[in-house]
Amino acid sequence: MTQILTDRRDVDFVLFEQMKVDKLSKHERFKIANKKTLKLIISEGRNLAINELFPAHVAGDREGCKFENGKVIAPESFRKPYKLFQEGGWVSLAEDIEWGGQGMPVAITYAANECFNAANCTFMMYPELTHGAGKLIEKFGTDKQKSLYLKNVFTGKWGGTMLLTEQEAGSDVGAISTSAVKNYDGTYSITGNKIFISSGEHDLTENIIHAVLARVEGAPAGTKGISLFLVPRIRVNDDGTLGEPNDVVCTGIEDKMGIHGNPSCSLSLGDKGNCKGTLLGKENKGLQAMFIMMNEARLTVGVQALGCATASYLHALNYARERRQGKSLMSGKDQNAPSIQIIGHPDVRRQLLTMKVYVEGIRSLIYYLGMCIDQMHVSDNEDEKAKYQGLVDLLTPVAKGYVTDKAFEVCNHGIQVFGGYGYIKDYPAEQLLRDCRITLIYEGTNGIQAIDFLGRKLGMNKGKLFYDLLGEIKKTITKAGQAAGLEGLAAGVEKAVEKLKKTAGILMKAAVSPKALNAFAFAHPFLEVTGDVIMSWMLLSRAVIADDRLKTKAGKKDIPFYEGQIKSVEFFVESILPVTSGKMDSILAMSASIVDIQDSSFGGK
Amino acid sequence: MNIIVCLKQVPDTEAQIKIAGDAKSIVTDDIKWVMNPYDEFGVEEALKTKEKFGGEVTVIGLGPKRVTETIRTALAMGADKGILICDDAADGSDSIAVAKALAAAIKGMEYDLIFTGQRGVDDDLGVVGASVAEFLDIPQLSLIEDVEFAEDGKSVKVKRPVEGEVLTIESSLPVLITTQKGLNEPRYASLPGIMKAKKKPLDQKTLSDLGLDASDFGEGARKLKIVELLSPPARSAGKIIEGESPQEKAAELARLLHEEAKLL
Ligand SMILES: Cc1cc2nc3c(=O)[nH]c(=O)nc-3n(C[C@H](O)[C@H](O)[C@H](O)COP(=O)(O)OP(=O)(O)OC[C@H]3O[C@@H](n4cnc5c(N)ncnc54)[C@H](O)[C@@H]3O)c2cc1C
Repeated sequence: MTQILTDRRDVDFVLFEQMKVDKLSKHERFKIANKKTLKLIISEGRNLAINELFPAHVAGDREGCKFENGKVIAPESFRKPYKLFQEGGWVSLAEDIEWGGQGMPVAITYAANECFNAANCTFMMYPELTHGAGKLIEKFGTDKQKSLYLKNVFTGKWGGTMLLTEQEAGSDVGAISTSAVKNYDGTYSITGNKIFISSGEHDLTENIIHAVLARVEGAPAGTKGISLFLVPRIRVNDDGTLGEPNDVVCTGIEDKMGIHGNPSCSLSLGDKGNCKGTLLGKENKGLQAMFIMMNEARLTVGVQALGCATASYLHALNYARERRQGKSLMSGKDQNAPSIQIIGHPDVRRQLLTMKVYVEGIRSLIYYLGMCIDQMHVSDNEDEKAKYQGLVDLLTPVAKGYVTDKAFEVCNHGIQVFGGYGYIKDYPAEQLLRDCRITLIYEGTNGIQAIDFLGRKLGMNKGKLFYDLLGEIKKTITKAGQAAGLEGLAAGVEKAVEKLKKTAGILMKAAVSPKALNAFAFAHPFLEVTGDVIMSWMLLSRAVIADDRLKTKAGKKDIPFYEGQIKSVEFFVESILPVTSGKMDSILAMSASIVDIQDSSFGGK
Repeated sequence: MNIIVCLKQVPDTEAQIKIAGDAKSIVTDDIKWVMNPYDEFGVEEALKTKEKFGGEVTVIGLGPKRVTETIRTALAMGADKGILICDDAADGSDSIAVAKALAAAIKGMEYDLIFTGQRGVDDDLGVVGASVAEFLDIPQLSLIEDVEFAEDGKSVKVKRPVEGEVLTIESSLPVLITTQKGLNEPRYASLPGIMKAKKKPLDQKTLSDLGLDASDFGEGARKLKIVELLSPPARSAGKIIEGESPQEKAAELARLLHEEAKLL
């Protein structure tokens, strides 16, 4: 059966064979999450994705959002899917049932959301940001804030947003100037201008709850003086009914490269001196609060990129199986040789296999992180909790920075496989590339992710997180080393891990030396090689399972799937890791040229 | 009001159908199985009716174990109970035999209304609904695109399209209704519905549980035999009519319709 969004066999493989998500159901918290229910969630989510979200992907792109008299009109084609998505309870799959969630594991949420994003990642920005705002309210809200807002946000009845960015404050959130003044009644009056705010204003929901970063009068400069506020677009009365509109005005929306169905709004707060909000959490602790939620928000971006990549891969794969062009290289000079499907050409196969290994490796990494979060939630052992928290902290920049880079590369191959048709709007490849591109930028650019990884995460607890991770990878290598036929692949991954360890050690030292700038010039390449090694780990772990199934109990139908798993890691170890190794050499050389070249020597003046 | 919906599991309408080596069946390896779309209308109508009048919705399917997935989907949509008639001896039965088994399962139950699809989208026979009604000796209203109950829930008024007109029919209950496109828009399973589905009863029955004789079922007992399955002929390329002026092209079209297609 031709699939266009996610490969169901592979999704099930990762969920139930690699991650064993259904094992979580032995814990009280997830006792309803048995395998049958989880599979039904994936199936029914797919139905909704294919029948409702997917058709609105192209439609929303062409329609875009309209800005009229301070109001933003979301694409007409998003209306019905939003209603169905919201009423179906999909906005907060993993949240507390008490607050309108469904109490499911995070891992299954990522699997369902992957499919929704593959169908329509632009649409998904509405519920995903809403969910993110809900998480902040859940974690830092007072009882009153929760009772006023949380259920309506978690169920998607109201929208939610994140207001960080300002003209002068993008990557450097500490530079924000939006201000907050405390009123006698305990509320705050907020004044300032925010830009690029996704879903900042729209008509899919009757209200929108903005989570706003601002500075309380007299607060310390920089990141230490930032507070977080809840600012409803329409004020909510104590009895939960809607009151007066708040003084939050959309002054325009951006015209952009992709994700046309989601408005990027400029918002003016308190232009008439009447924008009221309530403090969320403590004064001057706003950025810490945001950072606590940042892991999950960044993982969400990783899921979004994965969605684009898997869709691009499957579209390209289906196309390559049908499009006939050119003769087999082996047909020699035979003028009568038939044209073959392009999947038969080695160069097309190379690209398809490249797409396959990244899509599958990324899928495993994302679900793995979902599982880490779930295990953290159910574990009653502090050390274990700390271990999972550490893995999530460490790997989040990979799951955002590396994953989105590679997902975009996958979408780029996706266009190439289609040839000229890939560039034409009648086919989905070009839109997937355009829509995917934003994931490398928001929630912290990938440059910022790389700095976070090298500058903060790597050195955390004296590098313990990183060495723990290498320990986890070693476990898989050991298993693979014991499986007849996989020894060579295990050795290939091990070699890469050893070199990564060495590279990390040298770079970490350099990062705190007078040569820090030289080290940080290679932060992004270092994130990339780390990501490559993690991909090889995930693919090797898949192969260990596949190899066991092939040797014991694979059904006839499953054989090509499992054999494909072994081919994937073979390709990665033989064709990609050598390049990774070369990149590590380049990092180790730590060329000073990047830092030393004079600004004026770049030319252009 | 107690309502029964008969469900068939069919290949997804987008699945590429391949004929198997025996030329009498299809290759099922790669197929994604879904609920017959006409049966989805039945489930939706049953749920709407239950929401208005109360009662219970039971879904019944016949087929291999995988049909439980389709039944669970109906339970997740909101149906209360499921029954799967699952028996190797029933494999390969024709429509009349399937109807006989469904009717036997329904016979002992209390019901006011039965929905079946007007046909399965796989072999398009449209026999099961009428046959079940016949075996149960109740009226059948076929190809219905609108259902309206009397306030007291004792009778039903339905609409059936006929040759561009609409026929309105009234019937007492119990009655069997076969659903036509346009009847409603089936709901999606909601997440709370999915969680509840797990706890809902799903009984599995064999032919002998239903007091049926296995020899009346299966390939051997078919009254309707499939002789051969053929793929539709590949469509030949279209023809673009050339000509200097519209008049000239029209004349050429008329000539072709007359001489080549022999339609005029
Ligand atoms: C479509 C869209 C939707 C968005 N949605 C939201 C939203 O909902 N809410 C919200 O608050 N924001 C949102 N943003 C803003 C987004 O998060 C910022 O654009 C992003 O963080 C980068 O900030 P900037 O655009 O000011 O770029 P800059 O910070 O000016 O960065 C320019 C370049 O310099 C690099 N750079 C900057 N500082 C450093 C440094 N210290 N070290 C190394 N390199 C650096 C960056 O990596 C980048 O390559 C959105 C943006 C877009 C385009």
